[in-house]
Amino acid sequence: MSGWSEKILEIDLSAKTYKTYPLDMEMARLFIGGRGLGMRLLWDLVGADVDPLAPENVLIFTVGPLTATGYQTSNRFSVTTKSPLTGTALDANSGGFWGMQFRKTGHDVMIVRGKSEKPVWIEIINDAVVFHDASELWGMRVFAVTEKLGQSAHKRNVLCIGPAGENLSRMAAIMNDRERALARGGTGAVMGSKNLKAIVVEGKGRPEIKDPERFKFLLYETRKLLAASPLTSQALPEFGTSVLMNIMNNIGALATRNHQQTQFEGAEAISGEELTEKYLVKNASCWACPIGCTRISRTEKIEGEGPEFESVWAFGAQCGIDDLPAIIEANALCNDLGLDTISAGSTIACAMEMSEKGYFDSDLRFGRADQLAPTLEAMAYRRGVGSDLADGSLRLATKCGRPELSMSVKGMEMPAYDPRGMQGQGLLYATSNRGGCHMRGNMVGPEVLGLPKLIDRFQVQGKSSFVILHQNSAAAIDSLVLCKFTNMGVADEYFARILSAVTGIQYDTGEMIRVGERVWNLERLFNLREGFARKDDTLPPRLLNDAPTEGPSKGWVSQLEPMLKEYYRGRGWDENGVPKPKKLEELGLANLGEINHD
Amino acid sequence: MPAIKLYANLRQLAGTKELSVTGSTVRAALSELVKMNPPLGEVIFENGKLRPQIVVTINGRHAVELDALLTERDVVAIFPPITGG
Repeated sequence: MSGWSEKILEIDLSAKTYKTYPLDMEMARLFIGGRGLGMRLLWDLVGADVDPLAPENVLIFTVGPLTATGYQTSNRFSVTTKSPLTGTALDANSGGFWGMQFRKTGHDVMIVRGKSEKPVWIEIINDAVVFHDASELWGMRVFAVTEKLGQSAHKRNVLCIGPAGENLSRMAAIMNDRERALARGGTGAVMGSKNLKAIVVEGKGRPEIKDPERFKFLLYETRKLLAASPLTSQALPEFGTSVLMNIMNNIGALATRNHQQTQFEGAEAISGEELTEKYLVKNASCWACPIGCTRISRTEKIEGEGPEFESVWAFGAQCGIDDLPAIIEANALCNDLGLDTISAGSTIACAMEMSEKGYFDSDLRFGRADQLAPTLEAMAYRRGVGSDLADGSLRLATKCGRPELSMSVKGMEMPAYDPRGMQGQGLLYATSNRGGCHMRGNMVGPEVLGLPKLIDRFQVQGKSSFVILHQNSAAAIDSLVLCKFTNMGVADEYFARILSAVTGIQYDTGEMIRVGERVWNLERLFNLREGFARKDDTLPPRLLNDAPTEGPSKGWVSQLEPMLKEYYRGRGWDENGVPKPKKLEELGLANLGEINHD
Repeated sequence: MPAIKLYANLRQLAGTKELSVTGSTVRAALSELVKMNPPLGEVIFENGKLRPQIVVTINGRHAVELDALLTERDVVAIFPPITGG
């Protein structure tokens, strides 16, 4: 064995059959696992003629060779599919325990294809797959389903969809052990379209490690590095991700009221400091994670995981709401309904703006915390105006004749960072292969926090090289699959060393980054094959034309065009954003089959 | 007088979110802050220099030069090493 389990499990829901077959090890060497391996398989399995919600679309669940080894944060897994929200290639990854448990069943990959005639749930115990009738579960919410199927943190883990997925909301998430999510892009809608309610895993296997002594040493060194870093040993556990709220507001890059402003007067009331002081119960951790950034929060009505910074922002600043208990409860409700919090919050904000301006007939208004919960319920069950919101802000705004009021890229709602105050972040959003997303690389480190070194956030020239590096690095980490927070204390070099110890293949830092670049280019090729083009590498007109009239980003718009030209050159792409043959040759992507270069 | 705003654990160490200082430069203001709240010293400085990953802004713009002059109405914000997303 090689560090991989070397086995793909393929499940056909139409026929209620399954089979296993060997993983192509050359493919594994080039794409590792997680996002990379999932994308490589998606390229072969789903063509441009496939509707994301048709039975021909697939869900590809992937882990990596590090998963379940016990290396720090080796708990994560990915799902790859064609997005019903954007139509692009999509992968989402999640932590917790499910990925570790799936790896222990002895598989690297699970491909789910077809469509069950009736609702079904799948139970995977080591090598065996059992199909169960899910008629009784259909209609149930996430927390109830997870409990009914016997979720137990270290022994039995549950992925499921809630009403949002069943009702094919294009922002529906697949939920992971109640409160974690494969959140973005509508993964839950794809699962719902297949009449698949849940996937339960139990595994007893142990992944093989090629060089156990070297592995133990690197495990020890990584533990020391994470303990020595103030970011992973103090900042994340003490204040969680929401500690970013005040600094983003301070510098005038906190998108507010559907990006109409870049500072929110209520930021302090919804900050990480406030969350910690008044609502934090305790911290929690994913499997094999010494960082422990998860927050357990409590209001008078609920107690549960989260909320993370982006969720607080989406229901907070973006909706003009400073009521933190209402935001915590909206986050928990999204988990129970199976909705992506970023897209949900930003779509509500879009509806609020259009309603206030008379473009959309609803009573939604900025600042109305009381409207969050009923609107989310209406979205998940497609009741009333909720049905219009359930498919995201771009479809909603287009229906109202105002597509420019959707704060999205390629149809995916952007997170909290306003590109007018962070030029690199704007380029990153515009070129992100899955749409407006901060997990394809995030410039908040170099442009705001000085990590690893501060660069001028308003600088345009030369910015693309940082963006490309961050995108490639993120794709590599997503292919391992590890938590990006590990990278706050541990350099990329360590990831190459640990991968070498586990697989016996000698990777160096350069090869790790090349894996990321390979994945990025393949995602680009997939999107080109779907008909995406240079015109789609853009930002909402508001961010390109309307400068903030006050605050530290006053007078700035996104200077996207010069950065984009520089970015294409830096990527080895032509002026239309198409990878040149030389680049594809260099990355081993030259012989993939027909590619639309028009 | 210039104001200093503190965030995350700096607030806990200082026991306040905000205070006023008389210093006419960022460096002088930070020195004054540490004199008033000695526990902040080792968090903000290392061998007399600002620790890496401490972020200081003046009116929301990153302070790249600690000898930058402050005016009466300036607001200096100090963030300890933080991250998120």
